[in-house]
Amino acid sequence: MTTIEIHKLLSSVLEIEAMMIAAGAEIYRAEESARRVLEAYGMKQVDVYATTSNIIVSVETEDGAVKTHTRRVPQIATDIEKVHRLNDLVRRLSAAPIAMEAVSAEIDAVRQTPQYKTWVVTLFYGVIAAAFYLFFGGRHLVEFFASFGAGIVTGLLTFGLDKVKANKFLVKFLCAFCACMISFALKRVHCIDSVDYIIISNIMTLIPGIGLTNSLRDLFSGDSISGVLRLIEAALLALAIACGYIVTTFLFGGAV
Amino acid sequence: MEWRMLIEVLASFVGTLGFGYLFNIRGKKLLYAALGGMAAWALFLALGFWIESEVLRYFIVSLCSTVYAEILARRLKTPATTFCIINLIPLVPGGALYYTTTSALSGDLALFFPRLTNTVQLAVALSLGIVIVTAGCKLFLKKK
Repeated sequence: MTTIEIHKLLSSVLEIEAMMIAAGAEIYRAEESARRVLEAYGMKQVDVYATTSNIIVSVETEDGAVKTHTRRVPQIATDIEKVHRLNDLVRRLSAAPIAMEAVSAEIDAVRQTPQYKTWVVTLFYGVIAAAFYLFFGGRHLVEFFASFGAGIVTGLLTFGLDKVKANKFLVKFLCAFCACMISFALKRVHCIDSVDYIIISNIMTLIPGIGLTNSLRDLFSGDSISGVLRLIEAALLALAIACGYIVTTFLFGGAV
Repeated sequence: MEWRMLIEVLASFVGTLGFGYLFNIRGKKLLYAALGGMAAWALFLALGFWIESEVLRYFIVSLCSTVYAEILARRLKTPATTFCIINLIPLVPGGALYYTTTSALSGDLALFFPRLTNTVQLAVALSLGIVIVTAGCKLFLKKK
């Protein structure tokens, strides 16, 4: 392999790894994937270190030169289908290495992973809230639709704020705030009897469950730093949600 | 079998399916993930006939769900995270968390501490289940 090709290889592997972590894969999977691909391409002494925000890859080439690349991981946006495709790509690359141009084409193809349409996902924000309204024991028709409506608002808000790249803690806070405001306002005009189930079901769509699960899987796979980072992030997001609720109660004079 | 249980099980299916859309899970995997979430809650309810402790039931369901996730992941050649995240969504103690916050806000400490303990216990039970299975799978299925 020529030097340029090695740099291209490292760059591609980093791209795959960064996309994996950003789409919601565990750290050990990303590290393992990079190592397997690089070894398949004949690199000696492969060292990979990844956290949720940064990746370092260092290899020794056949003629003994050492090359190191590093990359900042973009903000995490869960996309399971992308993780699946990247995993698949890694599997194929480590089984049978292909030319660098072909690898770039494959990476581009993964970037084009289909997404559900915005309106479908927004609708499902409402459906989740409505389903969990029933799940937690709510049995009131008006409240059921209020819960659905609050879910839709949460979905729209999430999409809108993500588009302007708002801070994610702010997004969670505003979503929780709006959902709580809607239910408290309806309670104030006596449309509904209780705000509890509406709020709980809407909090379900906001809770950072994925961060928590991944944090645990990282922590107990030995990636302590990433695990702790994710845990802290999940805790802060939960706090932001709680703040949304607390601010609403104060605005309504504590009349729960 | 009460109506309440039937509604809860169906709602957990729909709710889990919804999360599948949020996380961009596609095709067959979406259905399996939603079925997993429904099965997890059905198991939780069924265990209620024999085991009273909610925490213990959370732990057992979490163990079973993660095993389900790991098996499916190997069958469908996809990362286990796909199902691991989704299956346990009906068990996320959202209600417990909410009631803890409300009692903290109203300054009702007699209610706050037991609720807080309960929420933490549920979360720990869930996590332990995930961790034990994940670690076990790594140990036994390393060479494949």
